[in-house]
Amino acid sequence: MKTKLFMIIALGILAVTACTKYPPASGRLTEDLVIYTKYDVGVNFYNYHTFAIVPKITYINGKDSSYLTDANAIALLNRISSDMIGRGFVKVDSTQNPDLAINVTAIKTTNTTVYYPGWYWGYPAYYSPGWWGYPGYNYYYPYYPTYITSYSSGTVIIDLADFKYPTADKKVMIRWNAYIRALLTGNHSQSEILQSVDQAFNQTPSLKTTPEPLAK
Amino acid sequence: MKKITFILTVFVFMAGIAQSQDEKTTLGFKPSSYYTFSWNTTFTMGDFNKWVGNASPAGFDFGGRYNLQGGLVAGFNISWQRISQSYGYQTAYFTDGSAITATNYRFTWMVPFQGVIGYHFIPAKMVSPYVSLGIGGDYMEHHVLIQEFDIYNTRWDFSLTPEVGALIKFGYFSQWGALVAFNYKWTTNKIDFENYNWTSKNLQMLNLKVGLTYILR
Repeated sequence: MKTKLFMIIALGILAVTACTKYPPASGRLTEDLVIYTKYDVGVNFYNYHTFAIVPKITYINGKDSSYLTDANAIALLNRISSDMIGRGFVKVDSTQNPDLAINVTAIKTTNTTVYYPGWYWGYPAYYSPGWWGYPGYNYYYPYYPTYITSYSSGTVIIDLADFKYPTADKKVMIRWNAYIRALLTGNHSQSEILQSVDQAFNQTPSLKTTPEPLAK
Repeated sequence: MKKITFILTVFVFMAGIAQSQDEKTTLGFKPSSYYTFSWNTTFTMGDFNKWVGNASPAGFDFGGRYNLQGGLVAGFNISWQRISQSYGYQTAYFTDGSAITATNYRFTWMVPFQGVIGYHFIPAKMVSPYVSLGIGGDYMEHHVLIQEFDIYNTRWDFSLTPEVGALIKFGYFSQWGALVAFNYKWTTNKIDFENYNWTSKNLQMLNLKVGLTYILR
């Protein structure tokens, strides 16, 4: 009788385990890095030749924002620059009227539950168009950006802003952006994170240019 | 897989034949009905195997059989089953200019329900081999998890399940026994993810069932 009871209980436990719809292993997916990119399909990056990048990473933690300037942050900025250079763009100073400007933001946690596209542009530490020499301008997406439900897993956002063609109504378009997620939920090395930056560029083959045509 | 099917089928029938030859001296009773609760392991086949290649032991089956006449039985089966597999980092490209690289985790959750007709060759014996055919349907959900992104299809289908197996009573007059069975299942179910560039039709699988039986006289 005890054997039968044991078998019934064992089968019952197995049944309860098996009947959950989502596999238990799927829960740890949030620890894996995710690289999401999106670009403006209406733009030809061959029309752009120079870029500049911010000197510091904007850091958002809840309602606060500040800057990251440690070695890891600098390595991340350098990797973004080298990826851009590898695609034919020429790096210039922010004061030299770059065609494209790169803003980099690291988000730890926020208390917000609903995220509007570009919500992080409003933080004081974010590099506004004014910092790039376009006071009174605002950033815009020419496409519908990705919907992100939570930033609690640690996210780096790279925005590529178009300062070559600001619109007459003072809009600066974001032509490409990348999200690298799960930096805080998993145990990821600096090397893995830098490779994720490479992957963000690799999965956008159209993000490249040609050398400036020679003047006749 | 073919080897396992063959060995299991031979074992079940040899056990039954061995008993039938000893009929005059064997005690036992013919069940008027019985209920089974089985642990189910699924081995996907064909296109379904490309979707998830892992054998999955995450499944259970509840069934009932009622004796009609001689060894002829009719009944039902209700089950639930999940198959799953991780495919590591993959990149998906979309026409709106977006791309995502992440661990891809695929799984299918299914709830089959079937009416069954079967035949027990020697229903009164301790080991009672049988053949049966299940006819019914499934509710299936096919999911692709890309980190927190969950893309899924929901499908109903028609299914056929021929099965061989055996009831093994724990004693000549015991109302408890074991069930060992093996079946092939053909369904009209399909997996169709346009954005994920994936289509699989007529999903098929093999199932191995091992469980307990409660027998009524």
